[in-house]
Amino acid sequence: MGLEYVKISPGFEKYMPKDYVDLVKYGQFGRQIDVQQIDQIKELVEEHPMCAGCYMAYFVRIFYASLPKPEDTIVLGTAGCARLALSQAAVPFIYGNYGDTNAVASGLKRALNIRFPDKVKDVVVMAGDGGLMDIGFGMTMHSWFRRENFTTIMVDNEVYGNTGGQESGMSPKGVQLKMAPKGKKFDKINAVELAKIAGCVYVAKLAPTNPKRIAKTIKRAILAAREIGPTFIHIYTSCNIEYSIPTERVLADAKEREKNDFGFYEWMTDEAKQYIEEQEKKMAETKA
Amino acid sequence: MYYVADVKESECAKYNCKQCVLFCPEPNTLMYNSEKHVAWVNYSRCKGCAVCVYVCSDLLKRNCIEMVMMTTGD
Ligand SMILES: Cc1ncc(C[n+]2csc(CCOP(=O)(O)OP(=O)(O)O)c2C)c(N)n1
Ligand code: SF4
Ligand code: SF4
Ligand code: SF4
Ligand SMILES: [Mg+2]
Repeated sequence: MGLEYVKISPGFEKYMPKDYVDLVKYGQFGRQIDVQQIDQIKELVEEHPMCAGCYMAYFVRIFYASLPKPEDTIVLGTAGCARLALSQAAVPFIYGNYGDTNAVASGLKRALNIRFPDKVKDVVVMAGDGGLMDIGFGMTMHSWFRRENFTTIMVDNEVYGNTGGQESGMSPKGVQLKMAPKGKKFDKINAVELAKIAGCVYVAKLAPTNPKRIAKTIKRAILAAREIGPTFIHIYTSCNIEYSIPTERVLADAKEREKNDFGFYEWMTDEAKQYIEEQEKKMAETKA
Repeated sequence: MYYVADVKESECAKYNCKQCVLFCPEPNTLMYNSEKHVAWVNYSRCKGCAVCVYVCSDLLKRNCIEMVMMTTGD
């Protein structure tokens, strides 16, 4: 969109919906917010139909509060639960066929580079484990092989949540799901190692237990994708419906998984590290 | 009737805290009044998950949020 585009033209404020006026007045456009101050802003994401207590919805909330430049960001999603909230945010959202996010994002990012050669435009894919590691697997991998400059975030609930509980390549071995009653016979795919081998320059894995850390990880992944290469975040976002987690226990569950198999992991190439350090320094200077 | 979180203001005001606000899954729902130093719930947006109760009671042992039944218009 761009900052000029989101601002309301003089004289038109009284005709705009209150939520939009609030977004422009008290939102994130044109400024960096500290995620700890999320209660002080009008958030980019609005009310949405994701389930009560869904920690994928929680992650989506923190994701939007973490964007380094929301007015110049485009988000891509696909069939699956996350799009139910991604489509309710004040950031352009593109929704294609199931699993095609990384092919569409590749074309989009290239087109943006041609159309806006001297502007930063961030492209971010957010899709499920089924969308990225099963049905869209080939397109995900090839975007990384081609070193396309955008960020891929996998919201891993270890199931096809949106369609009622089929197993995915990311479901843990042995797990029984509504539509996998015999238990999964194969191991969980090691998405992080695949991303490293396939050419990502920044790769992180985490559970949603610490908003500050989530924000830092998202910012780093988006920054490194601007100049250095593809970046990947693997986040555990439980499906309380399909895994029968009482909603008040979803954070407890995330903490437990963090201890067991979703401990914070961050890896980057030397080039990405140098670039991120420079950019973080610049951002700290503009804030100060 | 629907089930929502409700902050016990006088209890919450004892702490300068805000932790529950950082873990609610819903946007602009569990808010913080930094003048009064209390969290408050926008009832019409709350989905009744009680994650905030877990944060306040189980993690912090402060017991300042309870779940209540509301009738439309309350
Ligand atoms: C080509 C195609 N095949 C199948 C579907 C049906 N479908 C919709 S969502 C989904 C699975 C979603 O699982 P995942 O990507 O893990 O997202 P989640 O809902 O778990 O977040 C499927 C199979 C579809 N929309 N399009
Ligand atoms: S089905 Fe699962 S992942 Fe989807 S919105 Fe509900 S709790 Fe979240
Ligand atoms: S966690 Fe409890 S004490 Fe802290 S702000 Fe929330 S309600 Fe108040
Ligand atoms: S019950 Fe859930 S949705 Fe409601 S305020 Fe608490 S954490 Fe937020
Ligand atoms: Mg899934």
